[in-house]
Amino acid sequence: MPEQPPPEMVTISLDGQEIEVPQGEYIIKAAEDQGTYIPRFCYHSRMKPVGLCRMCLVEVETPRGRILTTACNTPVAPEMIVDTESAVVQKAQEGILEFLLINHPLDCPVCDKGGECPLQDQTVAYGPGESRFVEEKRHFEKPIPLSDIVLMDRERCILCARCTRFSEEVSGDPLIEFVGRGNQTHVITFPDEPFASYFSGNTVQICPVGALTAKPYRFKARPWDLEAIESVSMVDASGASISIETSQNEVVRINGVDNDATNHGWLSDKDRFVFQAIHSENRLATPLIRDDAGDLQPASWGDALDRVADALGSVRGDEVASIGGANNTNEEAFALGKFLRTVVVTPHIDAQVGDALNPEFLAGVTPRAEIGDLDGAATILVWAGDLKEEFPTLFLRVRHAVTQMGAKLIVVHPRRTGLDNIAAEKITYRPGEGPEVVRKLTAQGDQDYGAVRDLLTAGPVIALVGLTGRAEDPRLAEAVAAYALGLPGSKVLPLARRANVFGALDMGLAPTLLPGRVPVKSESGRAELESHWGPLPGEAGLDTAGIIAGLAAGDLKALLLVGADPVRDGRNPDAVRAALDAAEFVVSLDMFLNDSNQQASVILPVDGFAETEGTVTNIEGRVQKVNRILPGPGQSRALWSILDELSSRMGGQLGAGDGPAIAKEIALVAPAYRSMTWDRLEWGPERDGVVMPDRDGVQELRFVPDDSGLRPTAGRLALHSGRVLYDGGTRNTQSPALAGLTPDPAVYLHPRDASALALADGQEVDVAGEFGTVRLRLELDPSLAEGSAYVPANLDSTWVLGVPDVVTVEAQSSKGKKNEKKKGKKKGAGE
Amino acid sequence: MTSFPMILTERMTAHPADSHLLDRYEATGGYETLRQALLSMKPEEIVEQVKAANIQGRGGAAFPAGIKWGFLAPIEPRYLVINGDESEPGTFKDRQLLERDPHQLIEGVVLTSFAIGANHAFIYIRGEYPKPARRVQQAVEAAYAKGYLGQNILGSGFDLDVMVHLGGGAYICGEETALLNSLEGLRGEPRLKPPFPAVEGLYAKPTIVNNVETISNIPWIVANGGDAYAAIGDVDSVGTRLFSLSGHVKKPGNVEVPMGLTWRELIYDIGGGIRDDNELKAWVPGGASAPWFVAEHLDTKVTKDDCAKAGSMLGSGAVIVMDETTNVVAAAHRIVKFFSHESCGQCTPCREGTTWLERILWRLLNRAGRPSDIDLLLDVCDGISPGLAWPPRMTTICPLGPSAVSPITSIMTHFREEVESMIPGLQEVASA
Amino acid sequence: MSVATVISDWSAPNQERARTLLEAYPERRSAAMPLLYLASLEHGHLTPAAMAQVAELTGLTSAQVQSVASFYTMYKRDHVGRYLISVCTSISCFLMGADDVLEAIEEETGTPDGTTSSDGTFSVEHVECIGACGGAPAVQVNYELVEGVAPERGATLCRWLRESSPEVVVTDEMQKYFGGVRSFDWGITETVGAIAPVPAFGPYGSTGEESA
Repeated sequence: MPEQPPPEMVTISLDGQEIEVPQGEYIIKAAEDQGTYIPRFCYHSRMKPVGLCRMCLVEVETPRGRILTTACNTPVAPEMIVDTESAVVQKAQEGILEFLLINHPLDCPVCDKGGECPLQDQTVAYGPGESRFVEEKRHFEKPIPLSDIVLMDRERCILCARCTRFSEEVSGDPLIEFVGRGNQTHVITFPDEPFASYFSGNTVQICPVGALTAKPYRFKARPWDLEAIESVSMVDASGASISIETSQNEVVRINGVDNDATNHGWLSDKDRFVFQAIHSENRLATPLIRDDAGDLQPASWGDALDRVADALGSVRGDEVASIGGANNTNEEAFALGKFLRTVVVTPHIDAQVGDALNPEFLAGVTPRAEIGDLDGAATILVWAGDLKEEFPTLFLRVRHAVTQMGAKLIVVHPRRTGLDNIAAEKITYRPGEGPEVVRKLTAQGDQDYGAVRDLLTAGPVIALVGLTGRAEDPRLAEAVAAYALGLPGSKVLPLARRANVFGALDMGLAPTLLPGRVPVKSESGRAELESHWGPLPGEAGLDTAGIIAGLAAGDLKALLLVGADPVRDGRNPDAVRAALDAAEFVVSLDMFLNDSNQQASVILPVDGFAETEGTVTNIEGRVQKVNRILPGPGQSRALWSILDELSSRMGGQLGAGDGPAIAKEIALVAPAYRSMTWDRLEWGPERDGVVMPDRDGVQELRFVPDDSGLRPTAGRLALHSGRVLYDGGTRNTQSPALAGLTPDPAVYLHPRDASALALADGQEVDVAGEFGTVRLRLELDPSLAEGSAYVPANLDSTWVLGVPDVVTVEAQSSKGKKNEKKKGKKKGAGE
Repeated sequence: MTSFPMILTERMTAHPADSHLLDRYEATGGYETLRQALLSMKPEEIVEQVKAANIQGRGGAAFPAGIKWGFLAPIEPRYLVINGDESEPGTFKDRQLLERDPHQLIEGVVLTSFAIGANHAFIYIRGEYPKPARRVQQAVEAAYAKGYLGQNILGSGFDLDVMVHLGGGAYICGEETALLNSLEGLRGEPRLKPPFPAVEGLYAKPTIVNNVETISNIPWIVANGGDAYAAIGDVDSVGTRLFSLSGHVKKPGNVEVPMGLTWRELIYDIGGGIRDDNELKAWVPGGASAPWFVAEHLDTKVTKDDCAKAGSMLGSGAVIVMDETTNVVAAAHRIVKFFSHESCGQCTPCREGTTWLERILWRLLNRAGRPSDIDLLLDVCDGISPGLAWPPRMTTICPLGPSAVSPITSIMTHFREEVESMIPGLQEVASA
Repeated sequence: MSVATVISDWSAPNQERARTLLEAYPERRSAAMPLLYLASLEHGHLTPAAMAQVAELTGLTSAQVQSVASFYTMYKRDHVGRYLISVCTSISCFLMGADDVLEAIEEETGTPDGTTSSDGTFSVEHVECIGACGGAPAVQVNYELVEGVAPERGATLCRWLRESSPEVVVTDEMQKYFGGVRSFDWGITETVGAIAPVPAFGPYGSTGEESA
């Protein structure tokens, strides 16, 4: 955890007991930490107290006598005398509950909240025996949809304002609000403006009654039937803590868990509802082998593994390459790396696909920030993708730091982002001109960006650095980091979005890295690993681009795809497809069929999220435990077990018989992870995760970024290929709650560019780049840097465009012809 | 009654036709105090005079204005907000001050702003007062034109902008923190206190919120000195005060009287007595929130302390008189209905409790009450205002909920038999 | 979006007023309530479109604007008649017979409390205290006050409104013909009044006078 001075302690009397509590803490929290639970509905520890429900009334002695006051917003003071159980308090609590119940329907038996309902529980504990209210209750239309996901039953609502406060205070998209006044007050959206928030599910989780419900869970289960296990969200690499809940071997719900280090209990709706993909009917449940007619046929594991072992055994080790592994656990990634380096014996290993940043930068930049450092930052620099789209829970943490903790925010991006409305300064630049922005920020006496530079003189500065878009030169992030590290008290939080990409890199799934943040080129580091694994190649391997080129050229013969879809994620989809066609053998280990593995020779079904146990590592380098609560579908198996058996068939010895064994080996051979054990993460104070390296751990790699060798500015309409949360990725499309939320594909131009091209808002246009053409609707976007075109990545059709540097946008015309012409000008090989 | 200066209403009494116009104001000595104060007094001297005057706020809470000013946090900018959201049933005194002597208020605003170091003042007037708002707006424009407002007022170097803002129809905005929320474009929900407005008020900046009548007194206090003001009236409640008489009184209207008369003098001598010379049944001494008084209180003095000792308050200065023909359950129901309608809805006890009380009283009124309703009424009241004491304890953020309790405890204290006689079951027991 | 774009359908003086209001407050959000009156005037009542415009102008979400508007009784989100008759039925007016006044007005206009007449002439509502207790019972027409209104005078007032259909409702004029006891001496007679069921206040464009 980031260093914080210990709070000053004061002594108060709580129900006659003298206790020591931090000065200024609210009574409700101070009491709870000492084991005295004061009932409450509106209070939520992650939001400002509002004192609405009045359930937490306590008596406090003052010079003017005992007063009734709400414990949620009254800070403790030295010598304070607090009574939480007096007759007056008990009478008040009974009164509040009776008041709340007069308009609350008694439909607990059919209410989703029944059994885990704070109102129900507290009524039993503190309430009156029966209601004396004999009149008709307040009526509202029964549950009405607030959005595609969330429904509202206003009769059950007790107006605690947790949901509305969350929307305004935490997520910053107040689309639900109190309407009316007094006894007629209710919570609702504006007509025709649904509660289309990326964070709407949080309101369901924190609703203290059954007023807000989420479609995926409605009537699915009763709380007493649920089995739950804590884990980590695998939607992005921020490491949000979650609880996975199942009923009859089916995941029915995911709730956020309050991890002080990461998500504060909040989740995006993608984190929350993506579990539906687990139970998709399209999950691979049996091994598939391509038959002589070219069709995929179900096969036994024995046959499938024989086929793979034969194929990999029939070529030289360094003719085999592997792409993927960033969505697996550390243990799986480690097993994969060890399999590739010691059984297959190849260095061509890359967990990143398409939008890769330098693995040495991601794994080794120092000083590296923790998420919690944001709260103490004077200035936060976000030069990365739109966090709201790519790192939604991290987005909330930045919002928290800025709106609650007083940090000043600077956002640098080619167009508007979700953070702009709270940013003190925003720099909008044309993709390709990032180096120029860095230069201007760095140069002494430069007139531009004066306000930004002034803000950056105030430290500590925390810089969140990643790719703003897929077309951007990955080395720009290193230049930005180099600049940021020169700022006062600065630390860098490197951003790459795949769920466990940092774990994969730390486990050596990179052409330049060995397990434990050891560069391949480090003689001593390699020697250390060789003492365990035997001789290893001393040269760095090929990255994904190199592997695609190598396959196309015939230098590489066989490919493993581990949860990877390089056709969709690659710069040049056609070239990737051609490379896959050129490969003699492709084996895919995946949960679904995708655009890349459709043509594979063998497809092996693997267990995924909620089906595997292990650890993952987030953007901070924080290692947390993920857990298994149900088996994979059909015959699917854990990746490490597949690899272990494959090794045997190939005459090797992986020693990856089970997860704990792999974890022990990681601690043994990966220097940065030396002190890591599963036990540490499962019990006690380290359940929030441990940032590596710690204790005995060491990090050999100290990456010093520089700003040299950047690609020059691109041509006229520079492509901005930014990610959106609900893109056409498999997990979204296979989760019914999310599938419908994918935005319509479009190309966005600045109005001046559109008018220069004589194009109008809403018009169908052809967007063409060197790798392909796509027909899209044009939308005007004044927030976009002039001279650029924004095409959201990986939507229905947009992925066909690939990731060219520049595009042309024209009124729809002879599409086919143009494509040919562009293809003719293709530069270089493949990727 | 000893002689006393007419501080607030002299001009409008002497010049009923045009007391609101700038010419008349200047011709009767208006803005002279401002001129002299800006050129010869220091801000803290004005604060001292107001402290010495010991004037209690005239909005309802009766907090000494000078002391309130002294709480201002040393942070800039600071704001002055005039509470013209007069909505307490029975109260219409500020309406007269706004309509008939707006310059007196504006001069008070400039003096107060100068004293507290505010360069921006807002006059928040309830939306149902368009004519008073127009009069004040007209006066503000005239004052700007003559250099009493704006930049470098009267060559003093002091700047002040004043804006008139209309409410949207919500009694609760008379509560000062609700008013600030409303002025910020929010729902008029009272804020948790602390922090008080003097520390975190409008836009979270130090803010003084004072009632129209309070500030209308400031020019006189600055001109004549705080001690002169404190010499008027009674020991603990000083100065003159504008009372709004309404209901079954012969001469309804606003009257300016020195503090310290008896209720008998106020209702019978000044109010002319009860209509048709009926018997007095009860009166509400300080706006609908106040517990009622009955004949036995007629010789109680009209001061803050005397009323508090007798279990009520002077509140907003609204005296609502009820004669012998009044059905006290109907009257109490009407008042509770008001508070139920005006509850902002934030706090559970107020939102649910005031509505419940209204429904029980409605039942009683319609002869559908049950014997247990008497206890139920009092117990629901207890859930809003534990112990039913005076001054009230509260389970709520603001006093609106406990205000709804006042008429019920009043009829239960003074007219219990009459209430019981409306309940069929109890009626039979009584008559048996 | 620029102010001009958002409210291009408003009258030029009201666009100007909106701009003035947006600049007048230290924070833009404070202009929300005044703008809700302006928008009500422009749209006849506070329609969703009107609230959405205020949201654009003030930087709030439409849901926030709706939340604010619905808190206050004077922002009418449903269709409202040309003449909004507000009858005070709070304690002082109640004591002086307000319920009879309401009944007489309901009868004369054929418009029950809380509704709007089918021809759109009247909306009738009972309201809480309007600060005219010394002149009870009191009535407002488009928020312009008449004090001392006996039931039959209230009915006559409504008949007059229907028959003479005044463009501007003037408080002094109504008081002279239909009022009785007043809370205090009103002084000189004025001719300014309300042109719609929105409080008549110059900066909010609701008095019918040209902007200064």
